[in-house]
Amino acid sequence: MIRLEGVCKSFDRAVLSDVDLVVPESCLFGLIGPGASGKSLLLRMITGLMRPDRGKVIVGGNDVLAMGDMQLHEYRKGIGMLFQNNALFDFMTVAENIAFPLRRLFNLPETEIERRVAERLSRVDLPGFEARLPAGLSGGQKKRVGVARATVTRAPIVLYDEPAAGLDPVTSQKIFDLLRAEQRAESSTVVMVSSDLDRLLTVTDRVGMMLNGRLIFVGTTEEAKNAADPRVHQFVHGNVEGPL
Amino acid sequence: MSAEIRSALGFRLAALAQRSSEWLSVVGGFGMLFVEIVSRTVRRDFDRQEFVRNLYRMGIKSVPIVTVTALFTGGIMVIQAAPIIQRYGAYGLLGWGAGFGTLREIAPLLTALMINGRVGANNTAELGTMAVTEQVDALRALAIDPVGFLVAPRFLAIVTTLFLSTIFSDALALLGAAYAGLGFLGVEPAVFYRGLTTGLLGFGDVAHGLQKSIVFGIVIGLSSCHFGLSTKGGAPGVGRSVNATVVASAAGIFVLDYLLSFALS
Repeated sequence: MIRLEGVCKSFDRAVLSDVDLVVPESCLFGLIGPGASGKSLLLRMITGLMRPDRGKVIVGGNDVLAMGDMQLHEYRKGIGMLFQNNALFDFMTVAENIAFPLRRLFNLPETEIERRVAERLSRVDLPGFEARLPAGLSGGQKKRVGVARATVTRAPIVLYDEPAAGLDPVTSQKIFDLLRAEQRAESSTVVMVSSDLDRLLTVTDRVGMMLNGRLIFVGTTEEAKNAADPRVHQFVHGNVEGPL
Repeated sequence: MSAEIRSALGFRLAALAQRSSEWLSVVGGFGMLFVEIVSRTVRRDFDRQEFVRNLYRMGIKSVPIVTVTALFTGGIMVIQAAPIIQRYGAYGLLGWGAGFGTLREIAPLLTALMINGRVGANNTAELGTMAVTEQVDALRALAIDPVGFLVAPRFLAIVTTLFLSTIFSDALALLGAAYAGLGFLGVEPAVFYRGLTTGLLGFGDVAHGLQKSIVFGIVIGLSSCHFGLSTKGGAPGVGRSVNATVVASAAGIFVLDYLLSFALS
């Protein structure tokens, strides 16, 4: 379970204000909201890449902010993350990118690593792409390699930041279906930030909406679709008229 | 003092304080990064494969430019010294003169400036691009230490590259000088060689230049890694970081060269 309590963060202005969030275990949680509302920042706080000014980040019963370097290192082994712009290592091939966390963090035989890389590539529909460099891939292909790398360690917690940004509708739906299937297969806890609400809401169990650094709604996907709060209703249904 | 003058003075003092604080933050950043690199190196907690890969990219691929620079540097030194050598008929001292300048000063300095332009700038651009495209954060998120994986191997590769390139450059610059001596002054390579080896020059002169090359390598390595990792602001930010690296390293090399020339003499 992921629990955030009273999380605040300011740079030159407040970007997160008193965020309280609970993501139950084995839940696919969608985090939605307009741009610059603090969604990606929350993901970075869950991974320990950024510290809040105030508040608590509790993951699996452990206080992330109280962890030392070694504990944080161990903690991050249990997290997979897809970054907004994929963050593939551009001096490594596709296979090396996907195998990287396995080679560095787990003492696995090379045959097992190769088998897992091939299985991941086949799962994201990119068999035969092992030797390609990220620079030679399209946006959708890079995204799929990013998904393969984020899921290759079978981490119990996976965070996806805009997994379908810049993809065509068909590829986008395929990615969401793949992520849902992965989450079910591994019973992982997933937090997914996406602006593609039409597709995101087809796969989420629960949804939270951020607005101006505050979490203004948390509920099931059905509750989000039928929310009484006019801001949530407008955002979920994509209406031009409304308070936003 | 009028209010305008006081206001202008206050504004200038505030700007000076801000510049000083920025400068101190850079120096502090260098210091902290150096401590982190040394600790990874002592614990051997850095990626050996990355070290070898960078040594190849930085060292082997710099050989052509170092070769050209060194050969012509040796030749230029002879051309500049030629009128004095001819006036006093001091042909036997050509080897000593070229060797003294090359080994103690010119080869380490020019090689460092070439490596700064080729390797330092490239290193900053790579690390800067990795920083702005979240690749450095991705390493952290994957529980991989960016200093051990990215920075320490590159820093060590730069220091090693510059040290080895300086030895190579020493030899080639003397070769260039010897053949320029033959071409412009008619000094046989054997006479040049005798001038180089008959006691006026010693191992201390070679060591003087090599010690400088290690310090210059540390400057380029720290500067390029620090400015690369602290890059912000997309592609323009990468450009600014590369510029900062080249300027800071070159300035650092000249200042430290001056200080080391005193200290090592």
